[in-house]
Amino acid sequence: MNVRLETFGLTTVVIPAGRLDFSSANGFEKQLELVFAGAGTAPAAVIIDCAALEYVSSAGLRVFLLAARSSQRAGVYFALCALQPAVGEVFNLSGFNRIITVHADRATALSQVPQGRA
Amino acid sequence: MREQRTAVRSDAAQLPVLTRFLQEFWSAAELPPAQALSFELALEEVFMNVCMHGSPAGSAPWVEVSLVLAEDGLTMTVEDDGPQFDPLSLPPPDITASLTGRPVGGLGVFLVRQMMDAVSYHRVGARNRLRMTKHIAN
Repeated sequence: MNVRLETFGLTTVVIPAGRLDFSSANGFEKQLELVFAGAGTAPAAVIIDCAALEYVSSAGLRVFLLAARSSQRAGVYFALCALQPAVGEVFNLSGFNRIITVHADRATALSQVPQGRA
Repeated sequence: MREQRTAVRSDAAQLPVLTRFLQEFWSAAELPPAQALSFELALEEVFMNVCMHGSPAGSAPWVEVSLVLAEDGLTMTVEDDGPQFDPLSLPPPDITASLTGRPVGGLGVFLVRQMMDAVSYHRVGARNRLRMTKHIAN
């Protein structure tokens, strides 16, 4: 899995591409930890754009759960967007749609970042 | 009917080998790509369970995976010669728990049960056998 980062003001958009499975989950977890720590300044919002994420297993869900908790502790706005149908199905079946915000696309996600944070 | 099998040691590093085995079967049988993911997920969850929970320290049981495509769907059977363990006996996770109250594990087997039409466990001799079936729509 490849991961790209883009920043818009104080918002960091994380763009994973490929498969988030047991093999890639640990590396992705560490990358997200670095994102939350920030380079100098911690981000005000972290959005994971899943448009190119083709697959997620329970190992990947675990990483999303830990990231959501980190964001809650740090007071960072956190959301996912642009889930492919197969990934969305796994997300909904596990009830994660109830605990993690999901937006239809990146533009919507960015527009939902609370004022004063972007 | 189309049938194929493979076997690997219960070592997490073997996961890509199994995933490739499934993907190659899938394309050879010309099955709809969109439906491959539920089997890939089931294979990962079940295999990782054996690697992490069904392999006593210092041992690496063999895990055999077979795929049988028939009229009524695809049946994937995962067998291992590790200690007796029925993953279906695990209690389902509380998927309504809050963000902070959620356990970080326990979702794998739950997802497999949700995504497959039928899942069954049998202890056969010295082997655990988990059988999963799902109808494949064309």
